[in-house]
Formats: sequence, C-alpha cells, structure tokens
Amino acid sequence: MRLTRRDFVKYTGFGAASLLGMSFLGCMTKETTKDTLIIGYAEDLKLRGDPAKIDRSIPKFCVLERLIEYDLSSDDFVPSLAKKWNVENGGKRIVFELKKGILFSDGIEVDANTVKFTYDILVVKKHSVAPGSVEVIDDHTVAFNFDEAWVLNFAKLQDVHGLGVMSPKSVKPEGDPNGTLVDLIGTGPFKVIEYVENQYTVLEPNRYWFERTGLEPKIKKLIVKVIPDEDTRVMALRSGEVDVLIDNYHGGYDYTPRNQLSELKKEGFKILAKNIPYTWIVVFNYKKEPFNDVEMRWAVNYAINRDEIAKIFDGWVRPAWDGMFPPEAPGMVEASIRYGYDPEKAKEIVSGKDVGEIKLIVDKSQSDQVLVAQLIQQQLKNVGLSVKLETLEKGVYKQKRNSGDYNLRIYYIGGSERTFYMRIFWRFLPPEKPWKVYMSNNVTEKAMAVVKEFDKTKRRQKFIEFYKALYEEAGVAPLYYEVVAVAEKPNVEGIKFEYSEPRFYSTYVKA
Amino acid sequence: MLRYIARRALQIIPTILGISIISFSLLYIFPGDPAEFIVEARYGVEPTQEMVEKIRIEMGLDKPFVVQYFNWLSKAVRGDFGISWTEDKTVMEVILERLPISAELFFATFAISIAFALILGIISAVHKDKAVDHICRIYSLLGISIPSFWLGLILIWIFSVQLHLLPAFGCCELKHLILPVLTWSFSFMAIKTRFVRASLLEELSQGYVITARAKGLPEKLIIFRYALRNALIPIITYFSLSISHLIVGSIMVEVVFSWPGLGSLLVESVFKRDFPVVQALVFLSGVLLITMNLVVDLLYAVIDPRIRYGD
Repeated sequence: MRLTRRDFVKYTGFGAASLLGMSFLGCMTKETTKDTLIIGYAEDLKLRGDPAKIDRSIPKFCVLERLIEYDLSSDDFVPSLAKKWNVENGGKRIVFELKKGILFSDGIEVDANTVKFTYDILVVKKHSVAPGSVEVIDDHTVAFNFDEAWVLNFAKLQDVHGLGVMSPKSVKPEGDPNGTLVDLIGTGPFKVIEYVENQYTVLEPNRYWFERTGLEPKIKKLIVKVIPDEDTRVMALRSGEVDVLIDNYHGGYDYTPRNQLSELKKEGFKILAKNIPYTWIVVFNYKKEPFNDVEMRWAVNYAINRDEIAKIFDGWVRPAWDGMFPPEAPGMVEASIRYGYDPEKAKEIVSGKDVGEIKLIVDKSQSDQVLVAQLIQQQLKNVGLSVKLETLEKGVYKQKRNSGDYNLRIYYIGGSERTFYMRIFWRFLPPEKPWKVYMSNNVTEKAMAVVKEFDKTKRRQKFIEFYKALYEEAGVAPLYYEVVAVAEKPNVEGIKFEYSEPRFYSTYVKA
Repeated sequence: MLRYIARRALQIIPTILGISIISFSLLYIFPGDPAEFIVEARYGVEPTQEMVEKIRIEMGLDKPFVVQYFNWLSKAVRGDFGISWTEDKTVMEVILERLPISAELFFATFAISIAFALILGIISAVHKDKAVDHICRIYSLLGISIPSFWLGLILIWIFSVQLHLLPAFGCCELKHLILPVLTWSFSFMAIKTRFVRASLLEELSQGYVITARAKGLPEKLIIFRYALRNALIPIITYFSLSISHLIVGSIMVEVVFSWPGLGSLLVESVFKRDFPVVQALVFLSGVLLITMNLVVDLLYAVIDPRIRYGD
C-alpha cells in the first residue's frame, strides 16, 4: 500500500494528538500511593515567623510533644516528655524531671536547656500564659515558677496555643527565644521536610520517635494540603485528591461542615467523631435588661429545644441537656444537672414581663452557628420573645460583643481536652473581659476554687459545685456538645484519637 | 505630548491622595480598636488593657489621625507599607510573594478572555439578531449573572469529582490553572464580549460603512479593515483598564480553588485584621487603575492617528 503525503500527515497528526492526550492525562494521575497520606486542612500551618504562634492542630500533635498531657477521662495531667514532677512553694513552682534519651528529629537530645529555650519564647514575649520564669536545675531537671498557685499552671504547660518543646535549631539565631521560626523541629512522630506557605507541608516519620516507641511507620509521607474553602475541601475528598479531612477546631472555625458528614458517610467515606468537652452556648448580656433577671435567663433555657438544634447536624453532635459540658467532663455526671424543655413555662415567665425586642448576634463566618441562631430565633418567638437576629462580620460581631451591644449571642466554652482548663479560666474567671461568658460572685468563686485545687478528688467536688452554681443562676444556655471529626476515604486505616486529636503514626492507605 | 503627559501626571496626584486617604482610613472605618486588632493578630490572644496601651504607643496610634496618615503616606510612596501584623514580614514581601501567583492566573485569564471576547463579539455583531447572536448574548448574560464561586464549585464537581480529570484545588502547575482560568474567564469574557459587540455594531452603523457597502467592497474587508479597527479604540481602553484586576480581581476564584494569590491574601488579611496588608492592596489596586488609565490615554495617540495631544 502506498502512503500518500495526505495519509502521512493524517497518521502523524493523529499520533501526535494521542501522545499529547496521553501525556495530559498522565499528568492528571492521582498522586496518592499507599506510602503517602494526603490531608486536606483549612489553614496554613504557620511554620515560619513567630514560634509562639504555632496554634494549628497538626504541628501540635504530629511534630511536637509537650512535657505533660491532659487526660480528660481521669482528669489527670500525665507524663509525656517529663517523667515526673514535684509541686513546690505552695503550688507556685513545678519542678519537672525529664525523661532521658529523647531525641529531636535533628538528633539533639531533649534536656533542661532545650525546655527552657522553648518556654522562654513565651517568657520573653510576655505571652499571657507564660510562666514567670524557667530555671535549669540540672541537665534533666527544669523548674517553672508561676505567680499564682494554681493547678491551671499545668494546663498552661500542656496547651500554650500549641507550643511544644522544640529544638533550639528551630529558630534563627539558633537558640534565641526572640528568634524567628525557620524549621520546626520537634520530638513527635513526624518531622517537617518541606513547607510551602499557604500551599502544602510535607512530613516524614521521625525515626527517633518510632525507635523510642517501638512502632513501625506505615506511611513514608504525610502531606498536608491547605484548602481554605470548606466546600472545596469536601470536594477534594470526593475527587480523591486528599485522603483525609481533619478539623482545625481552634475557636470553632475551619472544620468539615457537620451537615455534610452524613452525606459523606452515605457515599462510603468513613467518619470518625470524637466527643470533646466543647459546648456551644447562648451567652446572655446579664449586665442589662432583660437578662439581668435570672427568671428571663431561665425562660430562654426552657424555650430552647436542644434536640431540634442537634438535628441540624444530622445527629453528629449531642444536645446539651445535661449541663454546660458533656458527661465526659470531670464531675459532670455527679452534678446531675438536667435542662428541661418547657415552652409553656417559658411563656408564663415572659408573659409577666415587659420585654422589648431582643438582639441576638452571631458571627457569620461560623456558618453552622448562623443556622443555630435562626432556629433559636424561631424557638424564642414561639414563647413570645421577639428576637432580631443580626448575622455579623467577625469584626463587627466582636465590636458589638465588646461594647455590650447585644442581648444574646452564640459562643462556645471548653474546647479540645488540652484547652479544657484554660477555657474555664478564659470564660469564667476575672478580670472582667468581653469574652467572658458569665461572672457572678458565687460562680466566679466556685470556678476559681476549681482552677486552684491540686487535689484531684477535691477538685472534682469543686467542679460539681461550679456546675451547679452556674446552672442555678442560669448563667448560660448550653445548646450542643461539639465533636472533632475526621472524614476519610474507605481505604485509609489506622487513624486513632489520642485525647482530642487524630494521630497518624499507625495510619496506612490501602492500595 | 510631553506637556500633556506632565499635565495628566499632575492630575492624578489628587486622585492618588484620595485613594491613600481611603486606604489609610480603613483602619479606622472598620469597627473596633486598631490596637486591639494588632494584639490579636500579633499574639493570637484576646487583648488585655496593658497590651493594648503598649501597642497603641509603640505603633503611634496615640497620635492624631492626620499625623498618623502623613507618616503612613510618606512611607507608602516609597513602597514601605510597614510590617504585616500576622506574618512577621514586611507588607511588600508578603505582596511580592503572592504577586507572581496572581499574575499567572490573571494573565492566562486575560489572554484567553480577550481572544474569545473578540471572536464572540465579532460573530455576534456580524450576525446581529440571528441565532448565533442570541446564543452569544445569552452567554454574556449568564457570564455576568453567575457568581464565580458557584460556577467554580460546579466545575470542580464536574471535572474533579465526577470525571477525575482536573484537580479541585492547588497551584502552580498547568493542570491547576485550567479550572480557575475557566471560571474566571466565564465572567471576565462575558462583559467584554458584550462590549466588543456594542462597539462593532456602532461602527457598522456609521456612514463610511454604508458607503463602503454601496461601493461594493467585500463584507470581510469592511468589517476587519475598517469597522473593527475603529471599534478597537474603546475596546483597547476597556481591556487595558481591566489589568487593574491583577491585584484583587480574582478574590472568589482564588478562594474557591485555594489559589494562594493576592485575592486570597486580601480575604485572609481582612479576616485576620491585618490592616497594613489590606491598606497596601487597596492603595496599590487604586494606583494601578489610575496608572493604566493614564497609559491608555497616551496609547490613544498611538492607536488613532486622529488624536494628537498638545496639537
């Protein structure tokens, strides 16, 4: 057969087009292999700049470890890098003995000087949760001095906006607490290999951590990709570009929308949800009418059907009928608190009062809370309260909150396990601040007693008294108990929660 | 010509001053205390009164507004917008890091949009009131009406979730560019298509076109050599002005596709109350628009021989 010039052009053109097409499709091939786990995450990990600002959950639990951790189930502070400790000077001084032979991923051993370096980052910056001073006693003993004799000091050490013990080489100039973070080096299960700001971070197993724990890493790489938009994040999971979505639950932002979890589950994705001592509440402006009246605060509590609110999230959260924190919180079950739904009683209270229009404010960047606020508006209307709902930009919300220009607002108390104690401090204890949720002589005294008490048994009793005092004064209206959620592809195995955080050291992706 | 350039350059000074006042005032227009914003952005904690007072003095926020403004302006004109409150870098460093990423997205969109807007606009004008014109007009209407974030999500759903052909997010490879460019071009192109159509139709109704037709000149020659060349003057003006979109024109597209450019920087900075960055982006965006306006005015003389400045 004779090949004409026309045929030649036709066949070579077709061949070239096919090659081009194949190479195009080739570059679209998904990069997930069984050696790599790709996580979709809402925020950049902030691994450069100020080392005191590492507040993202991933570096917190993948790269760093702390001296101690907090176990909510037993209400104990438990050893991590510290082997044991002594409380001295009536509670104002805590002396930690460090475990020996623990290495940072750069091979440097953790000693008292490296611990001092880490916490001096907070001291020199006069961070609000910084200890007063840090002293090196010997190579493996370090002492922290605080201004107050509070058990809360332990909480400060295990959650200082995520700061964990880091190698002095993490900053430049090396070992300078005022230095700039250039390469986060911790003792945790993973080490940072590559960081491209606002795009992705690549981590690899830290062999020293695995040698120490006797475990074998099952993945070679952990890639964290930054996807700020929540809908895009969910689509990236659906398209297979990421294997896992995890929440960044600092302050109620940047998590997988709760009302998408059921849909994902139906589509075959696995959803892991861990209950945490984190409660969404209605905050009353108790400094002015009508909610300076305890009866009116009760009326709101009676009017809210918490089951309906939990339904918004397809049952992924629990309605907060049993007190300000979920039953896992210390002393919560023993406190035997029960908020009732009694719209008739609420109507009765409201009918006897001259209440004008009530202003309910909500931060519109928290899309879930806007839905909750709309439902509350309706529920309060049903008992005769006229509610003007203001869905506000975050800054405006804060300004109104700070100036007291509201009657009700949607907010949260508690947090992950490691923030549990700190949030009691941040929400209920003096000094008076706009972000405190309720303070009265009785409630504040009871809350103060909790954070001061070192003895666990006595502290539990004080917790109960605190919960009851808050309940009796209807200081807040709890709505629902939050969870931390992980949405993962069906072929991802081995993610487990430790405390409130998903851990990846045993994770693998089936081919 | 030189005198004209000098006069125009002088004329833009008050406009730039106006923009600078608006940009600087953002810090105060926004509800809340700027000193509190700085504490929150810098330390990530709720501010105490002591921290707020310390910052107020340190940042010169205790000085009168006018003094603060002139301090800011004197630095801004030299490209010094201060230090970002959240990034521990200068504002210019933060912007210059993101600029090439935004430029990649913008110029790809710009090139594609202009090419297709010209083609569709010409087709639409030439076939006025025929089926193809109606289709082009419906497309223009949709392009203007459909929000970018919605279209972006729909495209992700089709090409990433259903077809597994293109990535849903990320940057800076060719495959990452396709969906954001497609999304942005859809609206970017729609407005321009209408503009090309309107300009060309106006020229086609002019007396010289009727004369040319009466003389029996071929239609292609009339359209491309005469009508289109004249219609290009307003088109080039309009297209050139859209270069000012480079800085913050693609906010929604960048957010939806996790494209770490200047648009998403603006959104992040607003949310984090990083006002030096917001001020700089607003100011630079305004300055770019004015500069492009001036350049386009000057280009008139090059494009249209009838225009002679200073004659």
